[in-house]
Amino acid sequence: MKKYLITFSKSLKAELSYRSAMLAGIASALLGFVIQLFLWQALLATGIRQDTSFSDMVLYILINSFMLELTRSNVATTIETAMIDGTVSMELLRPMSYKYYLLASIFGKNFYSALTRTVPILIVGLFFLSPNSCPSPVYMGLFGISALLGVLLLFEVTYVVGLLAFWIQRCWFLSWYLRGFQTFFGGTAVPLWFYPDALNTVGYFLPFRYMTFEPVNFFLQKTPLSQAAVPLFAAALWLVGLSLLDRLMWRAAMNRLAINGG
Amino acid sequence: MSFIEVRNLCKEYRIVQTEKGISGAVKSLFHRQYTVKQAVNDVSFSLEKGEVVGYIGPNGAGKSTTMKMLSGVLIPTSGSVEVGGLVPYRQRRENARHIGVVFGQRSQLYWDLPISDTFDLYESLYDIPKEKFRKNCAFYTELLEMGDFIGQPVRQLSLGQKMKANIAIALLHDPDVLYLDEPTIGLDVTSKKVLRDAIRSINEEKKTTIMLTTHDMEDIEAVCQRLIMIDHGKKLFDGTLRDFRAKYNDGFSIKLEFDTVPPAWQEDGRYSLAEQSEQQWIIRAPEGVSAKDAMIELIGLYHPINLYVQEERIEDIVRSAYAVHNREE
Repeated sequence: MKKYLITFSKSLKAELSYRSAMLAGIASALLGFVIQLFLWQALLATGIRQDTSFSDMVLYILINSFMLELTRSNVATTIETAMIDGTVSMELLRPMSYKYYLLASIFGKNFYSALTRTVPILIVGLFFLSPNSCPSPVYMGLFGISALLGVLLLFEVTYVVGLLAFWIQRCWFLSWYLRGFQTFFGGTAVPLWFYPDALNTVGYFLPFRYMTFEPVNFFLQKTPLSQAAVPLFAAALWLVGLSLLDRLMWRAAMNRLAINGG
Repeated sequence: MSFIEVRNLCKEYRIVQTEKGISGAVKSLFHRQYTVKQAVNDVSFSLEKGEVVGYIGPNGAGKSTTMKMLSGVLIPTSGSVEVGGLVPYRQRRENARHIGVVFGQRSQLYWDLPISDTFDLYESLYDIPKEKFRKNCAFYTELLEMGDFIGQPVRQLSLGQKMKANIAIALLHDPDVLYLDEPTIGLDVTSKKVLRDAIRSINEEKKTTIMLTTHDMEDIEAVCQRLIMIDHGKKLFDGTLRDFRAKYNDGFSIKLEFDTVPPAWQEDGRYSLAEQSEQQWIIRAPEGVSAKDAMIELIGLYHPINLYVQEERIEDIVRSAYAVHNREE
């Protein structure tokens, strides 16, 4: 465990060495936040939806941004690059599991961007929130569990896609589709509660809504407690299924790995 | 049973065949043709603990592929590898704890962090006890002359400095075996010497088994007792440096220096003029002629002012060995 913790902390520390990238990241996060605020203010002002308040939307944007930052860097690109330039051979020389090594280093990066980019928008966002926005301790706990499952689930999905690089060499287009599915079925741009019922139902059978949308729902206390187990259980089921799949894929991938040129 | 046992090791690669030009590339999108390349073909050898072995061969001979199978990164197509009782590709993580690897063309360092941070990472990766870690850090920092740059971010280091650091981290956990794949590539003469001396003293002090691939034959002469040569994936020679010289070396050369313009060269079918400059000749002597006889004869013929007998450089012997085997194929 200690080796994965130190991989996490070194990867976090490596991110800290670029100050201008950090400042640019904060600026773009703030800009994105303000744009979304104005957009939703205008949309809600049309009066179509009575059940969603502006304060709800601000909270949605805040938590959603935080979750998106936690899942920003994706491991598929990392595996693809490591395959193309052969650095995967260096990583396999270490006495640790490749999967958990990737998880630790990706999480180090993402944790850093979640911290640096969410804190500034949180400060701005506080001015727009109503005082009773903070969820109860129960919902806070459910949010924590669900967020953790979500982050792991996104990792699993991108890891499986990344492993495909061992067969097809380039998998950036798959990552691209994945990001699209996540935005569409996971409700990261428009909350799923605005979706038509049919589309919303399809989402339950795909892993994407459990990544960021369900955690946000818990934070906003929109999921009734009686149904709280459903999204948590679904996320866990996806996790187990995908990790069985990735184990099979890993074994096959090792058999066909070829690294040329030094 | 030896410490490292390699038996009938083979590794095949599938390579996509693409015809020339854009049309060839388009064609290959619809119909792929593959050829199978035997990167390593039926190679067997064994290494005892504490041996230093040079593993040489021209580019693409299969050296790195063998190293990767020994270190557990690649799975052989057939044959077997055992290192200290472990099968590297089946027990990759356990095997990794006992080996140190440096691939000269790749780095294990964190690009944005100082070397000392990578050291910390390796301390916990290999569960190195505090005391041993402290001692080894000090030992390798001094041995590899890294004191001046240990605190600088890796991206600001020179190639030689990075190579030293890579060697140091491969050794922090006192591995039983050290695989060095072209450790002196691109280094200047001073850094090369530091590395060679370090490799020698690591072997002497820690009894580390070392397997080294290189294209610089001076590396081999400086550190190896034994040489394995492969080409096209096949083993061509395995033995001591002395045996290697005896097998492929067919003579020695003699350098003559003149104080004025040298006399005319007389071709006699035995001696040959290998190099010629204004006041200097390098002459290859044939097999079977003793240095004494050659000296007497050449002095009598050409009256040089100075004369040096030179043992054939290992580099030239290797070049002629590659040529011999290419002719045979």
